[in-house]
Amino acid sequence: MKTRAWIGPMLVALSLSLCSAAPAVAADECLKCHESLGGSIPALFRRDVHFAARISCSGCHGGDSSTDDMAKAMDTSAGFVGGSKGDAASMMCARCHSDAERMRSYGSKLPVQQWESLQASVHGKLSGSGGGNAVSCVTCHGAHGIVRVDNPSSPVSPLNVVKKCSSCHANAAYMRMFNPSLAVDQLEKYRTSVHGVRNAKGDVKAAQCVSCHGSHGILKAADAKSRVNPVNLPATCATCHSDASYMKEYGIPTDQYDKFSRSVHGVALLQKHDAGAPACNRCHGNHGAAPPGVASISNVCGTCHVLNAELFAGSPHKKAFDEQGLPECETCHGNHEIVTAGTWMLGVSDQSTCGNCHSADANASGFNVARMMRSLADSLLDMEAAAGKLVDEAEQKGMEITEAKFGLRDVRQARLQSRTVVHAFDESKFRAVVEKGITQAASVSHEASEAIDEFYFRRIGLGVSTFIITILAVCLWLLIRRIEARAK
Amino acid sequence: MTTKLRAWFDERIPLQDLKEFLAKKHVPLHRGSVWYYFGGVSLFLFIVQVITGILLLLYYKGSEQLAWESIQFIMSKVQFGWLVRSIHTWAANLFVLAVFIHMFSVFFERAYRRPRELTWLTGMVLLFLALGFGFSGYLLPWNELAFFATKVGTDIAGVLPVIGKPLMVFLRGGEEVTGATLSRFFGFHVAVFPGLFTVILSIHLILVQRQGMSEPLGHDTRPNRRVMPFFPNFLLRDLLLWLIVLNILAILAVLFPSELGKKADAFAPAPEGIRPEWYFLFMFQTLKYFPAQVLFMDGEVLGILLFGIAGLLWMLVPFWDRKSSRGEANRWVNYVGLFVVIYILVFTVLGWLP
Amino acid sequence: MIRKKKSQVFNAEGVSLTLGSDATATDGGKRDFLKIVLGGGLVAWIATLMYPLFSYLNPPRQTEVEVSSVKVGPLNDIPRDSGMIVRFGNKPVLLVRTADDQLRAFSAVCTHLDCTVQYKSDLGMIWCACHNGRYDLNGRNVSGPPPRPLEVYRVVMQGDDVHITAAA
Repeated sequence: MKTRAWIGPMLVALSLSLCSAAPAVAADECLKCHESLGGSIPALFRRDVHFAARISCSGCHGGDSSTDDMAKAMDTSAGFVGGSKGDAASMMCARCHSDAERMRSYGSKLPVQQWESLQASVHGKLSGSGGGNAVSCVTCHGAHGIVRVDNPSSPVSPLNVVKKCSSCHANAAYMRMFNPSLAVDQLEKYRTSVHGVRNAKGDVKAAQCVSCHGSHGILKAADAKSRVNPVNLPATCATCHSDASYMKEYGIPTDQYDKFSRSVHGVALLQKHDAGAPACNRCHGNHGAAPPGVASISNVCGTCHVLNAELFAGSPHKKAFDEQGLPECETCHGNHEIVTAGTWMLGVSDQSTCGNCHSADANASGFNVARMMRSLADSLLDMEAAAGKLVDEAEQKGMEITEAKFGLRDVRQARLQSRTVVHAFDESKFRAVVEKGITQAASVSHEASEAIDEFYFRRIGLGVSTFIITILAVCLWLLIRRIEARAK
Repeated sequence: MTTKLRAWFDERIPLQDLKEFLAKKHVPLHRGSVWYYFGGVSLFLFIVQVITGILLLLYYKGSEQLAWESIQFIMSKVQFGWLVRSIHTWAANLFVLAVFIHMFSVFFERAYRRPRELTWLTGMVLLFLALGFGFSGYLLPWNELAFFATKVGTDIAGVLPVIGKPLMVFLRGGEEVTGATLSRFFGFHVAVFPGLFTVILSIHLILVQRQGMSEPLGHDTRPNRRVMPFFPNFLLRDLLLWLIVLNILAILAVLFPSELGKKADAFAPAPEGIRPEWYFLFMFQTLKYFPAQVLFMDGEVLGILLFGIAGLLWMLVPFWDRKSSRGEANRWVNYVGLFVVIYILVFTVLGWLP
Repeated sequence: MIRKKKSQVFNAEGVSLTLGSDATATDGGKRDFLKIVLGGGLVAWIATLMYPLFSYLNPPRQTEVEVSSVKVGPLNDIPRDSGMIVRFGNKPVLLVRTADDQLRAFSAVCTHLDCTVQYKSDLGMIWCACHNGRYDLNGRNVSGPPPRPLEVYRVVMQGDDVHITAAA
């Protein structure tokens, strides 16, 4: 905000002092003279988009470019400012680039918020040595010889921007000044990614730094508005990957985002904003984005699903899957559209995933194990449901069943554990867990039924008291009759 | 032994007087004698309410955080807590019913006529207190239904001109139904109302004892009318009836225990089927039928005012029904009474139907 | 209750008086029978009233609506570097006596899917068997799927006894 306060008057002052930002300059005397002096700058400027737009040197440096009198042309009292650095340079750019009116007069369709975006970005918030923003316009765009971004010679063109960013971001000593814990190996990783490999081959469509992070308004990944914040990342990837025409030449599907957003992970991340849920990068990597290899999938999933991955690695399936080139976890669970797992996956029915490889004829031992495991899982589910129902019933009848409810937790735990231990694909291990749950469920059911019986016992109590009251009432009645008979 | 004991007591408290008083006390016998029992039943149910109320007080916590939880605790953790609470709820309903029957029987028998105007007036106050008990007690479980019923009920009080808003704020202990309302209702229910009720009930009972039972018009003049000694005959019959009522309570409590429902949540949408206790239904239903605007008045306000006037007239019946006090028949009282009974019955049924 | 009982007793006394005074001569057998049944019925009825009454007055196992404190037992019964599950109302609480002899208590309900967590002395951590969720000895979720730290309970020593109370 502080910067904004002084930037306004300053801009005005600059515009006044450099009042001759006149579009039409007959002959740029500065350029003529400096060309005769040699050096690369005049040559660079001749290629510059600003030169093409007939903006003279004085457009940025001030002074009078129409006179060949050096003293007059470079008279500081006439507004000559010479070379500017850092924020002063940025503001020089912003004088036109943040002025929609003036940009339109040059026939430009560029956005006019770059300087403001930069101010709000992580680069704008950090100060470089000696004050001012860590990054100014010239840091990336250069000063003389600025060309359009689609010009391959631009330092920020898709193929060059990687180098431009990494000129700082791969420099550990430099980055330490700002964020000592930030990795500096992004470029290295990027070169191993599918995007990086294509970029190196000259594919301008392949994603580079700017495609994901944005350009002027880059925010920290932890910032909720950042394009690479986990919650926003899937949509960022989807800008290209869900665009069928854009992706056409690469021959890969474009439905990953749709599938992901329907998956357990997608629902957790995109709808519940659960930061623990994985975005695209948790499986594919971010700078080194590539599909995980077949044999490494269980490691990738195992970063979160630790126990499942461990059990799988020790199971007979690990070897068999890798030998046959089956993608481990993905074989049963799928990839982008992973749905909540359930007992339906187990067993030998049409729905089950075991049946994809095991049948009564082929791989029969697995077929039998799958069938047995399914029936165990089903009985646990049934027992749990029955116990739960009894507990509910007893509770609705107002019975005290805290114990049984407490036991129900153990049943649930056994069910959850069985769903993990199933990944060992070992019948005896599975049976041990499930049977523990079944035993517990049986005892819960027993307790709950006892509570329900107690409820009916209350009616017996009512019967007894009604019986007693009836006898009393009858006796009283007889007594009254007798007293009245005697009175007559 | 018993003689000695009696002598000991007689020396300290003159029991002889009491015995004589009881021996002289008679209950007149006529076709309407059966209605005499309802006063006794009301008294019995009030006693039941006091006892079960005290029992509930041992575990109930009158705060927003714990009210609902403590009732759940009573229902599930405390032995026979379900029974005590269910009896309290059922006895409350039967109490209001018995009081209503008692009132109408007194009305139709013209028992309010001179010199029993004060007995009638205290009785009416007791009836209003009984309704106050019902209204305040309904909120105490702090469940959804009670919460919204109280909201609607206090809203209705709030539409009254001039006094409405302050009255509503007073009842709610603030602008909205909150934990403050609960504390307030709890205080009314267990301290203010029982205190008032006991005092007025005592006056009511003393008046009955001093004046004896009222007899129907034209009955009291006969010289050798049939009577029943109060002690032991009538008292034993009373006790017999109380036993039966107690058993009915037990049956209702066991077969239809009170429910608890969901805990009140001020921000949840109002559940379907909010309605007050059945004894407020006829008024609730009437207000529903009132047009929004009657002449220059708000329909609801008019309705409440009309109910207020009707209640006042009803309460003042001993003063406008001069004929009965002179011992003459007054058919108009019958017509008015019948109209009120039918009105209440019809509108209660209408309100009860979905 | 007291009022009702009194009226009953009074009534019974009154009855026996009237009966005893002048009806002895007429039909003794029948009267005795009625008296016995009436008296017996009265006693039984009072019993049916008193049983629920005293059961009601008897403090329930969980004495209050919400448990605020639980006594675990003497410290000596809890070995070092071990954990134990304690019932806290209807919730399990994990009491850990660490290797460096500190007592800590956490809700034993895993924040992932509500399994019951346990202390693993080989890891020196709190561990959930369902999905290998791990918490450090401050209850912080450090690995695996748990999204939140475990709720902390306060451990209080009273003499030699360990008590767990809900953190204020």
